[in-house]
Amino acid sequence: MGIADGKRLADYGLSSERLLMEGKGPGAFEQEVAQLEQAVLATTLDKAVSWAQTHSMWPDTFGLACCAIEMMAVTGPRYDLARFGMEAFRNSPRQADLMIVSGRVSHKMAPPLRQIYDQMLEPKWVIAMGACASSGGMFANYAILQGVDRVVPVDVYVPGCPPRPEGLTEGIIRLHERVIAGVPPAYEMNEGIC
Amino acid sequence: MATRTDSALSGPALYEGTKIPAPVPSWVQVSDARRESGNVLQVNFGPNHPSTHGVLRLVVDLDGEEVVGMRAVIGYLHTGFEKTMEQKSWWKAINYPSRIDYLATFQNELVFVLAIEKLLEIEVPAKATWVRMALSELNRLHSHLIWLGTMGLELGVQSMYMYCFDQRERVLDLFEMVTGVRVHGRYCQAGGLAEDIPAAFVEEARAFCRNFQKMIGEYERLTWQNKMWQRRTQGIGVVSAEDAIRLGLSGPNLRGSGLNWDLRKSEPYLFYDQVEFDVPVYEQGDCDARARVRIDEMRESLRIAEQSLDKIEQMAADPWISGERKVVLPPREELQTSMESLIHHFKIVTEGYRVPAGEVYVAIEGPRGEQGCYVVSDGGAKPWRVHFRAPSFLTIAAAPTLCQEHLIADLIAISASLDTLMGDSDR
Amino acid sequence: MTSYKRVPGLVEVNEALGETTLVVERERLNEAALYLRDKLGFNYLADIAAADYLGWGGEVAGSWGSAEGRDLNVPYTLGPSLVAEPKPKRFSVSYHVLALRSDPVRLRLQTWLDDGEQVATVVEIWPAADWLEREVYDLMGVVFEGHPNLVRVLMPEDWEGHPLRKDYPIGGEPVRFSGEA
Repeated sequence: MGIADGKRLADYGLSSERLLMEGKGPGAFEQEVAQLEQAVLATTLDKAVSWAQTHSMWPDTFGLACCAIEMMAVTGPRYDLARFGMEAFRNSPRQADLMIVSGRVSHKMAPPLRQIYDQMLEPKWVIAMGACASSGGMFANYAILQGVDRVVPVDVYVPGCPPRPEGLTEGIIRLHERVIAGVPPAYEMNEGIC
Repeated sequence: MATRTDSALSGPALYEGTKIPAPVPSWVQVSDARRESGNVLQVNFGPNHPSTHGVLRLVVDLDGEEVVGMRAVIGYLHTGFEKTMEQKSWWKAINYPSRIDYLATFQNELVFVLAIEKLLEIEVPAKATWVRMALSELNRLHSHLIWLGTMGLELGVQSMYMYCFDQRERVLDLFEMVTGVRVHGRYCQAGGLAEDIPAAFVEEARAFCRNFQKMIGEYERLTWQNKMWQRRTQGIGVVSAEDAIRLGLSGPNLRGSGLNWDLRKSEPYLFYDQVEFDVPVYEQGDCDARARVRIDEMRESLRIAEQSLDKIEQMAADPWISGERKVVLPPREELQTSMESLIHHFKIVTEGYRVPAGEVYVAIEGPRGEQGCYVVSDGGAKPWRVHFRAPSFLTIAAAPTLCQEHLIADLIAISASLDTLMGDSDR
Repeated sequence: MTSYKRVPGLVEVNEALGETTLVVERERLNEAALYLRDKLGFNYLADIAAADYLGWGGEVAGSWGSAEGRDLNVPYTLGPSLVAEPKPKRFSVSYHVLALRSDPVRLRLQTWLDDGEQVATVVEIWPAADWLEREVYDLMGVVFEGHPNLVRVLMPEDWEGHPLRKDYPIGGEPVRFSGEA
């Protein structure tokens, strides 16, 4: 994926493993985000809007299979999603900002998936949670869509079968970083199929 | 009854007093006359719905708030497990069944491995069987906890969700200790277990069981003594024992209608005939009865788990997998000294072990009912045909029978009390 | 023990691995099912499973090793194992029934058919067969004569082909990697 001038986020040094890398403590990350923001030339108003968007990004209830149970675990008391303001899973796509596709998408489910995505209002983001949503997972067969990015543009892919709740939280945080840095949602990118 | 005489499409009844619709048992149909009267509205409880427990589509005909017609459409999670498993060797195919019923993950792989072992006629060491029993019961607890949490969420007792998920995390801690991952552990192996259990498992599991005993009492107070729960589950979705047998219901759905049928007692597998436990049976056949069966089952699961843990503790030094070298990898130390072990290791890893030709059907008591596996082998290193008998498949087919003449809000309570799972029904 | 000699259309009784399989003629399946339910008490239909034996009896799957020096009569020796017995027809449809009572009995009622042949439905006998037969029709293409609602249940309604047949490809796509174009 690329921003308007074609560079990748990693080229700007943005990385969420910042806390594990030497010399990249929380301070260095804020520096990177600041550099990225300068590169993207977001206005103060844009930054304020992005900040607000990431602090109450309500997901849509799109749990499909095993990953859905781990997604529910993220909302549970141990891996509390409410600290990000995201525990309000909206059942109506009209009120949702984020679609976490959690589980294997069959060819029969792909049209409803696209319909739900179309019913969401901009700005909207998609997280492909798990191996099945990212690429079809362990099911390379006639029944499963080989990656949900065949029908919807995806912002973040979270690997795992299923990803641990911490893994999904990492994916959500990376999405928040993306939004705060001013990167537009996937449907506005010049790559992708939709 | 109104729906049956009203419908011009009904055929001869199966027997007196049955509520199963005819001619299609899984479809409550509305007569053309009634539909043309203009009062009937067809509504889609679409595949994306918070209360259908997954991607289930219910096409419901409503007259006001009363359900006068209903059928279920499934297949939105059809994954092609059975065909995919035919392409993999026996060893690799064990990865797949876990994902079918994604709440009873251990029991799915257990039923498949039991089928392989039946064809192989291989002897499993006692310690492996006791560990499988303990993990099966913990898995049942896990499944019932999530069921209780989501049923509470849908009936308005929302704090149940948080309580149940908290306890669920502790069960998953135990699974993580044993298998390395929270769910989809792939711990069963043909001949026993993939690895020995860690030394601290028995103590941790006992501590969990002690703590969980107290929690069940709290759950009961939050549910049975809650007027909302009582009004929404008692007398709702009644199914008679005879209808339940005809419809192929199993597990708690049968036991909630008064039938004392539990595969662990009636057709014991593993060592269930060597442990003491009771089978809860309730007569009323309504949502409340089914829910009570499951909560009482949680208590019984704890009893079985504790007895299994005692046995495991005594057998700490015993082998956890069979010594049959044609099927089971030899221990790594042997590879340095024995040429034969090296060859066996090589052959098993590259070609895969062969399972003699034959067909078997193995059924175990899963949290949702009778989980069965039909395996046909041609004598080779890959399965020829694997078919899973999914309890949820038949339960969803039976849902319209239970939902007749109820209000739309009762539909939610009924579908929650039936504890269906789409991964299980769609495979 | 139950004697199955008087089941209508009986072809043979197989006992293996603790399980009993009754093979009956395709045309008399309904009579056999009624007899089992009413006379022998098999009131519960657990499962209907079909299997496609196209390609059965050829090289056993996975036999990459050579036969020199192996004893062909010892089961699961690492080498070509016993060649499986040939099957009478292409498809087998197995009804796993259960006598749900205090002394339970399980049974597999099996019938064989070729592509294009139909089997009578048992929906009137065991209503659980409604969706089970739909699944067999959907995935294997076996038509159940007299079924009131024989449409696809798992695949989309307009899907062509029957996926679980042996001549239907597994599907899927070659894996793309991010470094490629």
